[in-house]
Order: sequence, then structure tokens, then C-alpha cells
Amino acid sequence: MADPQKILDGLGGDANIIDLEPCITRLRVEVEDASAVSEPTLKAAGAIAVMQQGTVVQVIVGPQADTIAADIEDLR
Amino acid sequence: MTAALRVLSPVTGTVVAMADVPDPVFAASLVGPGVAIEPDTEQGTEVRAPIDGTVVKLHPHAFVVQAADGRGVLVHLGINTVQLDGEGFTLHVAEGDAVSAEQVLISWDIAAIAETGRSTVCPVVALDARTDAVGDLAEVDALAGAQTALYTWS
Repeated sequence: MADPQKILDGLGGDANIIDLEPCITRLRVEVEDASAVSEPTLKAAGAIAVMQQGTVVQVIVGPQADTIAADIEDLR
Repeated sequence: MTAALRVLSPVTGTVVAMADVPDPVFAASLVGPGVAIEPDTEQGTEVRAPIDGTVVKLHPHAFVVQAADGRGVLVHLGINTVQLDGEGFTLHVAEGDAVSAEQVLISWDIAAIAETGRSTVCPVVALDARTDAVGDLAEVDALAGAQTALYTWS
């Protein structure tokens, strides 16, 4: 399973996240600063892929997405 | 060596190639290979379990049934349907329930969801499977009903 703390880091940290929601295989995230998102960090954290369109980021993590999202919420 | 798993069509409709699903994650088979079904607006409203197993993940718009050997099949009802917050979907099972193939798990209002402008195509994904582990894929544009195998996962 992807590492929740590293995912949070790759998204630019707690302060950069406007909204984070799990879909069944991915985290859908809206960020404040798109440039603070690090695809290499997210991939190193265990993400299968990262899709980014401006401030909307989808982190593909597989079917554990809701568990990871809950863990990230606990870290925030 | 695990037994071949026949993955049945979860909805009645027509077969669509995964590459043609209007979502980059499914189209590129990033979470696994498979095929998709474009549901029939009237006959596709009951969503069935594609295999025998346990409902390990259940959202209104998507679920995963895991076989006893650990392999999981993901069914996603439409694209970007998480944004509907369950509107238009009725669940008939709970997460953790044991289900049989063809058992109805969810009903959905396809016409209402189509009216929101979203695609109603349903990717049926062999989670984490290697592409070459999935064979006998149903032909694109073929009609798929309750007993139609979409593919065999070996």
C-alpha cells in the first residue's frame, strides 16, 4: 500500500490541500499550488500513476484508496 | 497456479474496449486490464456480481468483489460518478457480504446519470492482473447479458 505520509508530502503538505476525496482506485485532490505537487515523490510513495490538470490532481493508488485517504486525514 | 476465473458481465449492454473508456486511468489499464460495458438504459439498471466472492469495497458507484483466492474484480459504474455522491444508486448489499456471481448488488438510474452529462460506461477491471493473464476477451460491440463471460482470468 502507498505510504500516506509520503503521499501527503508529494501533494505539497497539509496546507496545500483544499480538498481530498477517495474514489475507488484513486485520490482526487484539489490543491492550492499546483507547482508544489511532486510526481516523483508521489510515485516513490507507491502511487501507480499521477494525473494532474492544473490544481486538480488524481493520484492512482489502487483499491486501497479509501484506507489511504483516511490515513492521510489522520495525519492532517 | 490458480484456477481460471470467468468474469461475467455485471450489467446488460454492449462490450466496449477498455482503451475506449473516456478516462485516462481505465483506458491505460493502470489499475488492471479488462473490458468495459456500455449498459442498456432499460435492461442495464441491475448490477450483478461478476464472480463469486466477497464485496471487499463498496461505493454507490463502484465496487470490488474478491474471489476466495484473493483476485479482485473492480466494477465502476460510469465515469466521474463519484461526484454524484450516491444520487441515482441503490445498494442491495453491504461491504463484507459474501455474494454469488449474477447476484444483484446495486440498482442505478442510467438515464438520470446520462442526463448529468457523464459517460455511463462500466469498466470491469481485473485488479493488478498482468495483461497476458486476461484472455478470451468478449468482442467489442457484442451484446453482454447476465451469463456472458467478458474474459477469463488465468
